[in-house]
Amino acid sequence: MTPVDIWRAPGGPTAETLEALELEFPMLARLPGMNRRTLLRVMGASLAMAGLTGCKPERSKDAVPYVTQPEGITASEAQYYATAVPFDGWAQPALATAHVGRPTRLDGNPEHPASRGKSDAFLQAAVLDLYDPDRSQAVLTDGAPASWAAFDTALAGWRTAWARSGGAGVRLVLGPTTSPTLIAQLARLRAAYPKLGVVHLPAVGDGLREAASVAAFGKPLQGHVALDRARTVVAIDDDLLGPGPRQVAQMLAWATRRGDAADRQHLYVAEPTPTLTGAAADTRRAVAAGRLPLLVEAIAAHVGIGAVPPGLDTAEAAWAVRMTAALRRDAGAALLAVGPYLPPATQALGFAVNDRLGNSGRTLWWSEPIAARGDDLDALAADLAAGRVDVAVALGCNPVYDAPALPWARARLRLHAGSHVDETARASRWHLPLHHALEAWSDGRAVDGTATLTQPLVDPLYDTRSLHGVVAALTGDTRSDRAIVRASWPMPDAAWRRAVHDGFTGGAAVPVAVVAKLPAAPPAPAAGIEAVFRPDPTIWDGARANNAWLQELPKPLLKTVWDNVVGVSAVLAAKLGLANGDMVRVAAGGRHVDGPAWVLPGQAAATVTLFLGHGRTAAGQVGNGVGYDAGPFRGSAWTLADVAVTKLDAVHAVATMQMQQAIDGPGIIRVVKDARGKAGENAPQDSLYPALAADAKPNSPPEPRWGMVIDLDKCTGCGACTVACQSENNIPVVGRDQVARGRVMHWLRVDRYHSGPVAAPRSFFQPVPCMHCEQAPCETGCPVHATVHGPDGVNEMVYNRCIGTRTCSSYCPYKVRRFNWLDYTGGAPASVEAQRNPDVTVRARGVMEKCTYCIQRIRTATVAAARDDRAIGADEVVTACQSACPSGAIKFGDLNDPRNVAAVARKDPRNYAMLEHLGVRPRTTYLARIVPDEEA
Amino acid sequence: MSAPSVPAGETLETLTARVAAPPLRFPHPRAWTLAFAVASLLLASFVVSVAVLLLDGVGVWGENIPVDWAFDILAYTWWVGIAHAGTLISALLLLLGQEWRNSLNRMAEAMTVFAVFCAGLYPILHLGRPWFAYWMIPYPSTLGAYPQFRSPLGWDMWAVLTYLTVSILFFYVGLIPDLATMRDKATSPRARTVYGVAALGWRGSAMHWVRWRRLYRLMAMIAVPLVVSVSSEVSLLLAAGPIPGWHSTIFPVYFVIGAVFSGFSLIAMIAVVARKLLDVERLITDAHLDYLSRLLLVAGLMTAYCYLFEAFDQLWSGDRFERQAFADRVDGPYAWSYWAALVLNFVPLQGLWWRRVRTSHAGLFAIGLAGLAGMWVERFMLLVTGLYRHYLPSLEGRFSPTVWDWGLFVGTIGVFLVPLLLFLRFLPAIAMSEEKEVLHG
Repeated sequence: MTPVDIWRAPGGPTAETLEALELEFPMLARLPGMNRRTLLRVMGASLAMAGLTGCKPERSKDAVPYVTQPEGITASEAQYYATAVPFDGWAQPALATAHVGRPTRLDGNPEHPASRGKSDAFLQAAVLDLYDPDRSQAVLTDGAPASWAAFDTALAGWRTAWARSGGAGVRLVLGPTTSPTLIAQLARLRAAYPKLGVVHLPAVGDGLREAASVAAFGKPLQGHVALDRARTVVAIDDDLLGPGPRQVAQMLAWATRRGDAADRQHLYVAEPTPTLTGAAADTRRAVAAGRLPLLVEAIAAHVGIGAVPPGLDTAEAAWAVRMTAALRRDAGAALLAVGPYLPPATQALGFAVNDRLGNSGRTLWWSEPIAARGDDLDALAADLAAGRVDVAVALGCNPVYDAPALPWARARLRLHAGSHVDETARASRWHLPLHHALEAWSDGRAVDGTATLTQPLVDPLYDTRSLHGVVAALTGDTRSDRAIVRASWPMPDAAWRRAVHDGFTGGAAVPVAVVAKLPAAPPAPAAGIEAVFRPDPTIWDGARANNAWLQELPKPLLKTVWDNVVGVSAVLAAKLGLANGDMVRVAAGGRHVDGPAWVLPGQAAATVTLFLGHGRTAAGQVGNGVGYDAGPFRGSAWTLADVAVTKLDAVHAVATMQMQQAIDGPGIIRVVKDARGKAGENAPQDSLYPALAADAKPNSPPEPRWGMVIDLDKCTGCGACTVACQSENNIPVVGRDQVARGRVMHWLRVDRYHSGPVAAPRSFFQPVPCMHCEQAPCETGCPVHATVHGPDGVNEMVYNRCIGTRTCSSYCPYKVRRFNWLDYTGGAPASVEAQRNPDVTVRARGVMEKCTYCIQRIRTATVAAARDDRAIGADEVVTACQSACPSGAIKFGDLNDPRNVAAVARKDPRNYAMLEHLGVRPRTTYLARIVPDEEA
Repeated sequence: MSAPSVPAGETLETLTARVAAPPLRFPHPRAWTLAFAVASLLLASFVVSVAVLLLDGVGVWGENIPVDWAFDILAYTWWVGIAHAGTLISALLLLLGQEWRNSLNRMAEAMTVFAVFCAGLYPILHLGRPWFAYWMIPYPSTLGAYPQFRSPLGWDMWAVLTYLTVSILFFYVGLIPDLATMRDKATSPRARTVYGVAALGWRGSAMHWVRWRRLYRLMAMIAVPLVVSVSSEVSLLLAAGPIPGWHSTIFPVYFVIGAVFSGFSLIAMIAVVARKLLDVERLITDAHLDYLSRLLLVAGLMTAYCYLFEAFDQLWSGDRFERQAFADRVDGPYAWSYWAALVLNFVPLQGLWWRRVRTSHAGLFAIGLAGLAGMWVERFMLLVTGLYRHYLPSLEGRFSPTVWDWGLFVGTIGVFLVPLLLFLRFLPAIAMSEEKEVLHG
């Protein structure tokens, strides 16, 4: 039953009145920092106007509740849809959770071969972008509100002109994309306007990969690594496990060869700046980026390609010999991974080494390019500079920030389509607001090439259009987005429905057999200090700078938030007298960039690391003015040799979650030498209290005994769990100032420790949720029974009962409790409130909170099992952190159920309880990290 | 001990005149007004700080995770401690028949009442949701929810409530005969009415005196054990947590002795000032100050012994976290608080070995001030060094107080001083009846 639109005026509105109305009341279209009050005011106004001139039917429908409950929808139950979110142009397969039409959460698509239900922090955080109050909500002309109708009128005029000129002087700039629909649309566009140019900005994570492929094979190819097939991996500055669109797929593959696997992978790393791969490695060597080509050349020489280069020191030469031996030992199941930021010739040499060892086609293979390829970016820059560009159109990208070398302002007419009024929008005459991925029909390819479909979960929140719609409009195509996307997939309707339901439709990349040519010699290493550039570990290229979850997610190795830093080595810091936070200037070639120095243990002595993605000026309220922008300083280089680093007379207070700490003593992080954990290596500590083994007693068998086991050997510290927990449990973001005061709210923190010398440390990560102690000290402290033990052994937090004495936190040996010092949740923008998970209480000021083992999920499963009169399945309850963890390091379940993953893991000889000597009997235990006894 | 409880040459009449004079015609009104203005300013700071606190939440303070208690619990233990000395002087010395206390006990009792009141404010104000403080009381809630009786905070509530009640009753009961004197001496009808009502119809009959003495001594007997139990209980707030540096059985003793020391420090200061302000140098003599000083010295030396033994306890424990906690105290980012506590509580005190210092007013005042500050710093050290870093190195944090931390603390000094000054101005600050009792022989 459709509700009757009683507000419609007789006769109905004309297009003119609608347009006039839109122009008359621009504040309707733009609601900066909308809160509940302004929302109500605006809603009142729109109803009133609907009575005057009528309104778009979709608008008024938004505010009308169900009169009749739609079939198949229960308001209290979540719905799940397979969809995808783009990341550097790749489709990240997602399973979206929606509550009564509101998408509240994104997880990996469990059916999809590239995600298997796992996700990274970026995917987890993408749902927040949908509700970003700073999203652009209206068409703008010169910054003033305009309407789509006005744009369509203007576009009609331009189309006529372009048809005459063949699109000469028209340049489209897009981000990287793998969308078959978009690629087809662009092809049609070029066919319609033969002289129109299309440029794709490069994906930051790909670095110099394309040039390397051209150097090796004479043509661009897409490389793929198969870590699950590699028994030995030597990664030369290749962050295989680090952030980026391939993180989930590669961590999944890596994890199969990790932990107790019989054929556990050997992972050796040489890199200039610490990465997650280096932290997970068996051995890691800090080597300046400028010297890494020498190491690759030496390894190549040892497998019979070329000669050993001069200039290696003895340690490096010995390392190259050891690495070659390891690679040879597992020839065919080994991988020499050379990072994307190294010189193309060096990367090509690495491909040749893999060819020689028979690894190519097995651990490293090639397919035809998957991402769209366009015209040359440098040519566009030259055209812009020469004034040959009449119309520049930025579609879903931000070239003014991403490609500062492009003289954007030199184009005569500039258009920008994007989700935010960003730097490019500000420098453009027209700005067109775009849908979020969860509002749009689209498609793309996952990193393995699988064709992946994006379906909308929600009607567009604002008056936006999809990127496909905008591109279609350029050719006068007026089909709906769905029709445009559907047309790209010629298949029967039933198959299409299946594909949309599943979220993908096969089509994984096909290997092509190629042999790498021996490349020209890479450049010789330069002396002096070098600067290397890396995408920010949580903000990446800056497009996500306005995502508060990502801003507040600690950088895995740095543990800094809301900033980017200049990574320096301890040696350099000592030489320049730098302490963490001291401002430094990095200068080269007449350009410079200033940022706060931060000592990175394991940094190559003469390397400084600059992180991209910060220093945005028009990202939004969250991302503006956070950190420094290294983009203009970088230009197109990924390594700058011989930079000057000077200390400035200023200090910047960088908010950090954790100081640089060494592990002191046993009991916190345990390490064993091999998977079986030789006797005595993981012995329990002396304690006054009865041994942990007795913990089977406290619960009688019929009740489940929920527990968690975290495998420190599989944890790479990526932080996906932290964001997954944040989105599941309505955890507020508190901002830089509150983080600096020690008030971050994350329920699940990932502690990072180092051991060994600061120049070559071993790094460890330890996710710490609530331990759910069986003898919980917090429960003794609370005077009002606000934290109590549930019947299934979960340490429960009763928010309504909490009066905020904080005794529980004072008494907590693990300090996992978080307190609402101020009102962190009230007064949030209405759109942000819409993201919240309705199954989890939003906590008020003055209340303690902490990890609940996702009690809402436990109770949902308990109720479902009781309703069906069955036992809860062995792995039926999955916590949010567990569901995200790409390497499967987090295991949860009923410890009384021998089939459960956590119960199985508890029997591992590596299992230990942190601080077990306190006798608190934590329900969360850890599996010791395996560190083979090898020379670095 | 030859107690100079009443100076030679005093008669009943002169005694009454001396003590009853200030409330009726204050000898130094300008000094009092100045002091009262300062105290009122402090009180204003309290009002503003509480308003900000209630409007914005405890986040206006500098506390965080891991240091989630700091000035709040610090000030709570400090004020409770101060109160104890008052009880000891008036109740314990009464029971022991130390008649020299009669010149000081009224002031000490008043100090106790106001200090306990200040202490009691903190456990309520430090709550995240102070409006639900009553949930700690076992009342028949419709939800069937009850307090959690294992929690030291629940005991805190009982301890402070009990202590406040007993202190007020003890103070008031002791005051009744003197209120009657004031009624009789007052000239204005309004004063007569007020004092008269407060005197509860006291006529000084023998029966009145018998019952009064019985009640007064009974109250004293109830009050004295509270000194030990309340501060022991307060110490369990820390000691009950499995936190290195806190989780020690020495804490109750440590806290009680420290409490008494800080209280004696404050009494010494009040005595030095009040004898001038009220023109009662003949009643609070150098001999009184000498006795007080000796008590102060003994309490201080016991405190020092506690420091020594606490360090021994931590080092001897064999527990590496306990040893680390000790190392953090003496050589961590908050080492200044450890050494400041040690120096302030121990070094100035040594002056009291000399009679000249004991009877020098400025010297005694300064030593008292040092003791008060030292105990405050000690509480800070115990709380913050226990919390800022313990088992997991990753949890290390720092605490730095905000303006509202200071505003509230300074404010509670106003909460203490304003009623104390009103007491000195409008009530007989020295127990006339008890002095006269001695005079009677």
